[in-house]
Amino acid sequence: MRKFMFLFIAAILLATVAYATDSQIWGNMRLTNILEYGKENSLHLGPLFVKLQSQYFYKIFFGILIGVPFVFFLHYLIVGPKVFSHGGVKIYAFSAFKRIIHLFAVIAFVIIVPTGLMIVFGKYLGGGTIIEYARHLHGLATILFTISVIPMFLFWFKDMLPTSDDIKWMFILGGYLSKEIKEIPAGKFNAGQKMWFWVATLGGIVMIITGAFMYLQDFDYGIAKLFGISQIDLLRATAITHNVLAFVVMALFFTHIYMSLFAIKGAVHSIITGYKEEEEVKYLHSTWYKKLKKEKKI
Amino acid sequence: MNYARMKFYCDEERCIECNGCTVACAEAHELPVGISRRKVVTLNEGIFGKEFSTSVACMHCTDAPCEQVCPVDCFYIREDGIVLHDKEKCIGCGYCLYACPFGAPQFPRDGAFGTKGVMDKCTMCAGGPEETNSAKERELYGQNRIAEGKVPICAAMCSTKALIVGDEQEVSKIYRKRVASRGKGVQGAPYGWDKAYK
Ligand code: HEM
Ligand code: SF4
Ligand code: SF4
Repeated sequence: MRKFMFLFIAAILLATVAYATDSQIWGNMRLTNILEYGKENSLHLGPLFVKLQSQYFYKIFFGILIGVPFVFFLHYLIVGPKVFSHGGVKIYAFSAFKRIIHLFAVIAFVIIVPTGLMIVFGKYLGGGTIIEYARHLHGLATILFTISVIPMFLFWFKDMLPTSDDIKWMFILGGYLSKEIKEIPAGKFNAGQKMWFWVATLGGIVMIITGAFMYLQDFDYGIAKLFGISQIDLLRATAITHNVLAFVVMALFFTHIYMSLFAIKGAVHSIITGYKEEEEVKYLHSTWYKKLKKEKKI
Repeated sequence: MNYARMKFYCDEERCIECNGCTVACAEAHELPVGISRRKVVTLNEGIFGKEFSTSVACMHCTDAPCEQVCPVDCFYIREDGIVLHDKEKCIGCGYCLYACPFGAPQFPRDGAFGTKGVMDKCTMCAGGPEETNSAKERELYGQNRIAEGKVPICAAMCSTKALIVGDEQEVSKIYRKRVASRGKGVQGAPYGWDKAYK
């Protein structure tokens, strides 16, 4: 815990340094910014950002917001959920520490995603104070996410490394397209869960960093210089990255919710109580099940 | 009624980098410290024959990029081309700054948690969406000199008359006259016009 407090304080100190530095986008630095926009041999990020933000981003967000849940709705109607007996032996999967950290991430995401969408669709919600507070909440929830993402990354890292099971899992899409219950090749985590893990942690860290850049706006850590671009172009690249990565994070977040709450009946209990149903492990995480059997843990 | 299209023009040959416009603007609109809606910059510094100073603020662009990207749609463009925004709708996200070719939008650090507050920029001395010349308009956006029939303060006080503002045809006329009188031959559009006005 001391480590996290340290990280937190370091982040605040960095923010203070950023505030203390001379303005990059309104001070003398603006000169370079003016020259960059759409100029020959500039990155053309200004016009690109205008085009993406004004014509594409909100449409893609809308598509994901409607499309992904719709596909899952159809899946629920046609294929239906996987139901496993909840009467059998329970297998201990997640320690209390992991569950609490995961809970932090849950709370953070449940705030971050809707508030992010509120900003994106701000004009349809009237703008003003409500959206401004959505923006602040989006930033505050990021602090909670930052606290949870690092331990989460560390304690699941090893289980999330790719294995040969993942390729087989991908070919049959985890068996989610059929009603049949059979043994699916997967260790403690399947390829889908792994994909979400990497997007949520590494992608999440990129979201934190890009979010922090937009939040601070004026800062001088030598990052723009490193890439040889102006501060304003760095901010443009940042805003584009944050939005594009948000498509992926959002789509997989919805998938994660659908899987844990609906597609596998009662799967959510494992992250609340720590225990998984034996049946569920036997079929959906067959490799892990065999390993536990061999080690005589069940 | 046929509205005039209002434009800014800063004559690089005349601008003496006195920063009078910056100060006049800040005083007239009682801007907080750290906010300069208008700023004088020197470009191509140190390059012989190419160095020049010019005064830059919001250019009130055609198809304003800021207006296109704003997630809460708080900009509105007057019939005379002046680009204004509603501070009560703005959420201070900064997108307009990323879109702007002139770095015009600025963010005072007065929002909640000491973060960037809502956007502030040059209004061409035309106030905002509040009732014209009301106390609220003045507090949020500064003076509304246009409504009073006055020239924007920056151009009004410019000692060399480098900075001029007005109907595009009048401005173009003055520009052409000045270029012709210098006898340096044909010149392109004034600095920034290619990006601001289409
Ligand atoms: C891991 C997930 C995410 C993290 C850590 C994160 C973090 C942040 C932070 C710290 C900011 C700056 C806030 C501020 O300026 O006050 C920001 C801005 C923004 N975020 Fe996110 N975000 C995430 C996901 C998303 C998602 C999923 C969306 C869209 C659905 C989104 C949309 C936006 C938008 C539109 C902004 C720009 C407005 C602004 O700068 O305030 N974000 N984000
Ligand atoms: S100069 Fe910038 S702020 Fe002004 S109208 Fe153009 S894009 Fe908008
Ligand atoms: S800072 Fe305000 S005016 Fe600028 S894009 Fe965001 S909401 Fe619109």
